[in-house]
Amino acid sequence: MAAVTKDQVKHLGWLARIELSDAELDRYTAQIEGIIKYLDKLDSIPLEEAKPIVAKKKFSNLRADEPAAFKGDALGTKYRRDGFVKGPRMV
Amino acid sequence: MELFRLSAGQAAGGIKGREFSAEEYVCQLLERIKKVEPKVNAFVTVNSKEALEQARALDKKIRDGQDAGALAGVALSIKDNICVKGLRTTCASKMLERYVPPYDATVVRRLKQAGAIIIGKVNLDEFAMGSTTELSRHGPTRNPWDISRVPGGSSGGSAASVAALECAASLGSDTGGSVRCPASFCSVVGLKPTYGLVSRYGLVSYANSLEQVGPVGRTVEDVAAVMNVIAGTDEHDHTTAAVDARPVYSAGHDGGRQQQQLRVGLVKEFVEGADSAVVKVIYSAMDTLAKQDCRCEETSLGAVKYALASYYTIAMAEASSNLARYDNVRYGFDDLNPEGYEWNSYFAKARSNFGEEVKRRIIVGSYVLSSGYYGKYYLKAQQVRSILRKELKSLFKHYDVLIGPTMPILPFKIGEKIEDDPLKMYLVDVDTVVANLAGNPAISVPAGFVAAAAAPGDDGGLPVGLQMMADEFQEQKMLDAAFLFEGAAKVQRSPEL
Repeated sequence: MAAVTKDQVKHLGWLARIELSDAELDRYTAQIEGIIKYLDKLDSIPLEEAKPIVAKKKFSNLRADEPAAFKGDALGTKYRRDGFVKGPRMV
Repeated sequence: MELFRLSAGQAAGGIKGREFSAEEYVCQLLERIKKVEPKVNAFVTVNSKEALEQARALDKKIRDGQDAGALAGVALSIKDNICVKGLRTTCASKMLERYVPPYDATVVRRLKQAGAIIIGKVNLDEFAMGSTTELSRHGPTRNPWDISRVPGGSSGGSAASVAALECAASLGSDTGGSVRCPASFCSVVGLKPTYGLVSRYGLVSYANSLEQVGPVGRTVEDVAAVMNVIAGTDEHDHTTAAVDARPVYSAGHDGGRQQQQLRVGLVKEFVEGADSAVVKVIYSAMDTLAKQDCRCEETSLGAVKYALASYYTIAMAEASSNLARYDNVRYGFDDLNPEGYEWNSYFAKARSNFGEEVKRRIIVGSYVLSSGYYGKYYLKAQQVRSILRKELKSLFKHYDVLIGPTMPILPFKIGEKIEDDPLKMYLVDVDTVVANLAGNPAISVPAGFVAAAAAPGDDGGLPVGLQMMADEFQEQKMLDAAFLFEGAAKVQRSPEL
């Protein structure tokens, strides 16, 4: 298992869209390396014969996926305009 | 009469029998909350006004001779990651600071239909990620038995509010032990149902292949009564499909059922790593069961050694995926205006407001799901689940329940395990994650008290919980065993506050 680097954590932070400060990067890198080392335990298991678990329910048993009107205001923050939610610009 | 001391069953009986009104009962609980909250800090939101209104409406219903429901007037607290219409549901996070759900979770809807009163929302570790209820935006909840100690977590507010007599029962959620751990630390009863028995609709997802909503109460009977209301299929949660529409459980009082000799297996891997003081209580619990004519012996569950690594891999992977929805655009907090931000940088900025533990778990989750690592971690973790299930299936041919300590250690001091090394906190979940990985039901029942090593003799001691696990959908057998033990061990009492 290769060591977890600060650059890796920074990149993962970006993939997960979480801005991390330098102090956080320093602290997390060592902690995350410790956690990953612990998870590496999984590597020592002889698993050839074990199948991963799967859901019991058949796809055909699911209820129909039909849209239904929802009464009530499902949306949250105070940034609105003309009844729409305001988000950051796309480009 | 101190109505706040009543169990759920006693309260419903008294209210329906018009010995006292639901309003009097709720008033007393609100007084109690006011008195002990400065010490315990279990509640995030106290629902005073609406709880009183619900109580008065219920009293009228009873006066009019209408059916008031199985939990008539019983006051419950709800973990703040389960949606109650119109009540802020924060998950103890800045990321949901302003979120007010426009709907009831199925479990909450069913409680209300059964006449229960929602007295408030209770504290948790942020997004249910933690084992101490310290990692909350609302500050730590304290253990009613010793307020310098943690109540366990993540449903610490649920267990503490029930132990501190601020409500009769509570709903928590259990992803890796989050109902049972605080139940054990606070000396109350907490049940994690079989996966799929209780609807998760309206529970804020953390790791949805592991978690279930579960009841906390002061007696096994109360926990069974709440299960009878919340369990069963729900068209809003397709994972509940394999279940009876409405299973009915009883806790020993039906008399008619022929009790067969219970076969009890003590899992030696559960006691091996535990504190000696805890182990002593668990062996004496086994003696108690043996004296009740149970057939008790030690047994082994070899795959326990891989359980934690498997659990944390799956929990963090699912967390990283589930928490991707929090972008602060559709709901969230108010003090970050999207004006002037580009899409990605706004998300990254907004999401930096997750707490430390949540950020860490999202990043580790992203790591184990990265291309090239999937087969090494996630797939193997899923294989461990099937090995565990196989081992458990064969054990349950010989035993009705498997027992061990719920927690391997005593409740520890606030701050003790959340300093530098998050792994230290993860390791205390070793005995509880098995039931989540395999999907089995498990319950924590108060087993006794031991004096704290650091402060011997200064108090009545710290609680130890006995965990019982049963085969899938064998909640009734598990409740029978728990009821039998509760009656024989007689450790139920309440803390001085």
